[in-house]
Amino acid sequence: MSRVYLDSSASGYQARVRRLMWIVLATIGVLVLRLGQLQLIEGDELHDSSIRNFARSTKLPANRGTILDRQGRVLAINRPSFDLYVIPGRVRDIEGLLTGLRDVLQIDELDALRLRERIEEPRGMWRQRSILVSRDIDRKKVAQAEALRAQVDGISIQVRYQREYPYGEIGAHLLGYMGKPRREELEGQNRYTADSLIGRSGLERRYEELLRGEDGFERYIVDARGAKADNMPWAERALEKQAVRREPQRGMDIQLTVDAEVQRLLLNSMSRYESGAAVLMDPRNGEILGMVSKPGFDPNAWSGRLTPEAKRQVDESPYNPMFDKSVQSYFPGSVYKVVAALAALEEGILDPNQLIESPGYYEYGNRIFHCYKRAGHGKVDLYGALAASADVYFYRLGEQLGIDKMATYAERFGFGTKPGLGINGESAGIVPTKAYHEKHTAGGFQHGLALSTAIGQGAVMVSPVQLATAFSALANGGTVYEPRVVQRVLTEEGNEVTRYDAQVRGNLNAKPEHIAMINTGLIRVVNDPNQGTGHSAAIPGVVVAGKTGTAQVREIQRGPLTENVKRFKDRDHAWFAGFAPAESPRLVVVVFLEHGGGGGKDAAPVARAILEGYHQRIEPVFSTTATYTPPKRRNYP
Amino acid sequence: MSHFGKAIGRIDWLQILLVLALCAVSIYNLHSSARGTGRSYHIDQLWFMGIGLVLMAAVAAVDYRNLQRLVPLFYVGVVLSLVLVLIVGKVVNGSKRWLDLGFFGFQPSELAKLAVILTLAGWFQKNPRPGGYTLKDLVPVALLVGIPMFLIINEPDLGHTLMLLFISGSMLAYERFDRRALVGLLVMGLIAAPLMWQFGLRDYQRDRILTLVDGRADRLGSGWHAAQSRVAVGSGQLLGKGHGEGTQVAGGFLPESHTDFAFANLAEEQGFVGGLLLLGIYLGIILNALRSAAMARDRFGGHVCVGVAALIFWQVVMNMGMVLNLLPVTGVTLPLLSYGGTSVWTVMVAMGLLLNIHLRRTVF
Repeated sequence: MSRVYLDSSASGYQARVRRLMWIVLATIGVLVLRLGQLQLIEGDELHDSSIRNFARSTKLPANRGTILDRQGRVLAINRPSFDLYVIPGRVRDIEGLLTGLRDVLQIDELDALRLRERIEEPRGMWRQRSILVSRDIDRKKVAQAEALRAQVDGISIQVRYQREYPYGEIGAHLLGYMGKPRREELEGQNRYTADSLIGRSGLERRYEELLRGEDGFERYIVDARGAKADNMPWAERALEKQAVRREPQRGMDIQLTVDAEVQRLLLNSMSRYESGAAVLMDPRNGEILGMVSKPGFDPNAWSGRLTPEAKRQVDESPYNPMFDKSVQSYFPGSVYKVVAALAALEEGILDPNQLIESPGYYEYGNRIFHCYKRAGHGKVDLYGALAASADVYFYRLGEQLGIDKMATYAERFGFGTKPGLGINGESAGIVPTKAYHEKHTAGGFQHGLALSTAIGQGAVMVSPVQLATAFSALANGGTVYEPRVVQRVLTEEGNEVTRYDAQVRGNLNAKPEHIAMINTGLIRVVNDPNQGTGHSAAIPGVVVAGKTGTAQVREIQRGPLTENVKRFKDRDHAWFAGFAPAESPRLVVVVFLEHGGGGGKDAAPVARAILEGYHQRIEPVFSTTATYTPPKRRNYP
Repeated sequence: MSHFGKAIGRIDWLQILLVLALCAVSIYNLHSSARGTGRSYHIDQLWFMGIGLVLMAAVAAVDYRNLQRLVPLFYVGVVLSLVLVLIVGKVVNGSKRWLDLGFFGFQPSELAKLAVILTLAGWFQKNPRPGGYTLKDLVPVALLVGIPMFLIINEPDLGHTLMLLFISGSMLAYERFDRRALVGLLVMGLIAAPLMWQFGLRDYQRDRILTLVDGRADRLGSGWHAAQSRVAVGSGQLLGKGHGEGTQVAGGFLPESHTDFAFANLAEEQGFVGGLLLLGIYLGIILNALRSAAMARDRFGGHVCVGVAALIFWQVVMNMGMVLNLLPVTGVTLPLLSYGGTSVWTVMVAMGLLLNIHLRRTVF
């Protein structure tokens, strides 16, 4: 039976309908294939995408450990700070919000306008992202903002830990400061997020692993607006397989050997000088009681609250405030003469009592080596040579010992290797040898360099901490201790986890009588009122031993520098290294004044102030019975 | 057999069954996808469908050859209401698509689809060209379709504009053409496409198309709907998350889940199996409509059936293409599955026309 149209023009309709049917089948087939592609092939991946939609994970930041001083005073601690955010998607009344925020935060109209733009700009999912409006608002503002939130919604106040350094600039270099993680640290083991703070320098950086703790997290289910949702049973089942919460683990506390009041004392004693460093060490075990560098910086500001102005001030300072001068090396000058003296005694080439002519200059080869004192010192023995710092006496020693022999003794003192504090790029210094000069000096090694080395000039470089270690060895009879700043690691509850005991690094390997001879000389330096270069370090009633140094590093500066800076650069480095009380030393002090003038004139009085201040204000370490007995007249030519 | 008994036997029961099945799936799906909106869309939809089924029966009851006389009047009425909507229409999301009738929001562009189907069918009935239509013959057709298209693209409503284009194109495909006319249509299409792109589309419409082509488009901005729809569908996998368990709807990640993206919710909760079932129902309705076309008593009936088949087909393709990220986001609804009165009634009237023509197929 033919089911065609009644009008005769019906031919072809059947065929065309069949063609349309095939087209329909093919097109629906494409839809089926696409459905299968999305659900069966990409299904697993999109299944995870749907979980990512509702699964939120927030970091529960770990509280960083506290740094305590020797006496248990807090040097660095985490304090909660409050940041104000706005979540655009939740704002119900933007006019009310802006008016309210202008009141609470006291922002001006322009800032309010900018804020409005930032709130209105985001689209889609971005409207659920928090916008930071103000960091670190005080508690009064927090209360006001909470009240405002109740009215207009859309405000979020988030707690963050802010690192705080109650002592501010005092000891800033040692403690260091905190900063944002760098990109490679973010990519690293996935332990830091963009809002983490990471130890950037000093002990904060050295003990980052201990102090940091472990961040925790909390996972929960949110809807598209970012609000916690409880209407998704499927989502809850999907998340059941994963941990929902991990508590953050607080970092460890560390207690230092350093005393905050000693830090203050060191800085106060150096107050007249722009730039330098001071170290106070216990020679019996290598504990550092204090180490400071000048000028300082405010670690509170540098830990995330740095104003451009404060940064500019630091950047433009000619005195390198961020540089920790206590672990950097400099030309030591005459404090280094102890090396040549001990080497000569040990090598048996020096009779300490023999008087040697020590004029104002010394001819060697075709060069003339001058004494700092043009008139010379006449005939001196070892003690007199140390006391008066007679250069020519030591030129002779240097000539006889040779540079490499002196280097082996310098290394026994700990010079030329890093002290092991592991902070602020501590310097190993330089102990020059023939090989060193062949490699680094224009013209290679010449024997004359041994002469300069003997008096701490030439290429010798030492750091204040190294010098403290070296003088500790002289003070304690030859043991070279590793300098230490950390005493122990504690849990939050105060339970000791690790204690760091005295570590012996090496030994001077010298005959006790030789060390005693040098110490006798060092006592003369301070206590000989006529010739001792360090007499201004003398303290009545206490025998102080020490050595001054004046490293000739004057650089005459030209160009656009202020008069102050020119005068600064035009001076020598001033050094004093010593210990007291000489008969049973309790303290080793090193004072380094960068371009500070002269060791005896400038550094020695600072050292005296430090020793006296420590005895009077921190711990009485001097028995007042010991007095200095001048040696027999004979020694004075 | 009585006259009434004969009529019962001639009713296209398969088509009715498919429509009722689709209604059931729609209510079931809306029951889930309307969660969180705080409104009982599935109850409303049930009412729309109830009224719609009455409409369908009414349209089927009166012989379509009598209804045919009303077509010009219907066409003029629709065009006038399209003009009216541009003047006093309610602005929703930047488009004027709705006439506010107080108790009810009415969308004339939905009716325009029916008007074009009926009008073109009438024209083909009156202007037979046994040797094939030439381009010149088609000028009146272009005018009849062009007027409502022009009005709708100015609302703007790209989805419905394209629907009119595709439906009338499909109806033309049911006729024979002069070979030169075919070439001419092809050339005109090639010229019109870039012009349409440049002048016919708004920026956001171009954006949507570009989003689809360019995978790097901002997933949080204009591509958000598409991306979330893809996640919803894909995460349903083979068997779906279960009725009422779709997280994309519950969390509010999938927008318009009760209207344009209703299918995404179905695919998420019922999986590939549920999706296949739904596609099967649509395929059945479309093929059955084409079968009715082949059996129609006259050219008018045949063309109406093809037009209705095209209406369902193109809405399914454009809506699912959008949900499945194959086509740009145009806001074309899925027949009966999407919530909405005008949309439901348009489909129901179309179904009534199919039943009507099927009932009165050859002489009896």
